[in-house]
Amino acid sequence: MTEDLELIEAAQHGSVDAFTELVHGYRDGLFRFLLTRCSSHADAEDALQDTFINAYRYIRTYDPQWRFSTWLYRIAIRNAARLKSPEVPELGELGDEESDPLRHCIADSERQNLWRSARRLLTDDVFTAMWLRYVEDMSVNDISAALKRSASWTKVNLMRARRTLNDEMNKEATVAKSEAYG
Amino acid sequence: MDKLGERLRDDAASIDAEISAELDHRIQASLQGVAPERARAASQPARPYSFWWASSLTGIAAAIAVIAIINLERPGLGPSAGNSVKPLVTAQPLVMPGIDLKAEAAMLTNPLQQELEALQSDLKKAEQAVREDVELSF
Repeated sequence: MTEDLELIEAAQHGSVDAFTELVHGYRDGLFRFLLTRCSSHADAEDALQDTFINAYRYIRTYDPQWRFSTWLYRIAIRNAARLKSPEVPELGELGDEESDPLRHCIADSERQNLWRSARRLLTDDVFTAMWLRYVEDMSVNDISAALKRSASWTKVNLMRARRTLNDEMNKEATVAKSEAYG
Repeated sequence: MDKLGERLRDDAASIDAEISAELDHRIQASLQGVAPERARAASQPARPYSFWWASSLTGIAAAIAVIAIINLERPGLGPSAGNSVKPLVTAQPLVMPGIDLKAEAAMLTNPLQQELEALQSDLKKAEQAVREDVELSF
């Protein structure tokens, strides 16, 4: 964290190298997240590039009271939303399976990737809240700040999403069991 | 962490998100052409005191002018005042029962202020959603 702050300070004084080193630790996670939010692999790449450019451009407005990852995610969420064209279906109603970037990024496995179910069942903001909570280990306050939502909204929707995904997981387990017993 | 949390973490890790050398190069190249912008608050120069004095005086003058015009146009004071104006019979003023409020001003601490802003943001988003729904239904 202290090292991050030093790099942020250097980046604020115009050091591209410091900024590059700073974002190096965040870029894989951020790209993985953008792949789940964008309608194609190319869009996710563009969103990642735009996120880093915007973050560097506005690095002087960064408030150290928040985690740097919270700030980066906030920019990434905005970029992903901006890149989403009107003809692209909403996450909850994915139409064309072939165009789904997640489909190509998930190794073949016996079980369904739960994040694909999450995209089908949850709204954009709730999906993002779940991602930030369980993949990025963010606190409710950080999630609320990243999404510009109230803490109560975040708590309630995390709880509802957990219930939905638990049901989905149990349904999947029941199907697998019935298949195993013929 | 519970079963769902573990599953979500494992499934996220199984998403292949390798950044290609070409994308890395592209990001590096675009960063070279960007410079950090100055913070907005620092870039706005403070207005001089004379500006505030001038605007306050203009406001006071405008208020005096409006009050003077309204008073001159009142029936009792205007040039046609006198015989033609009948006294108006006004209804008895409605007397509202007084409630002894013992309210204290709340001092908003910083997190509360943030929570208020977040709630306002919620409200805006909800309003936007309703507006979109209404537009879709018509």
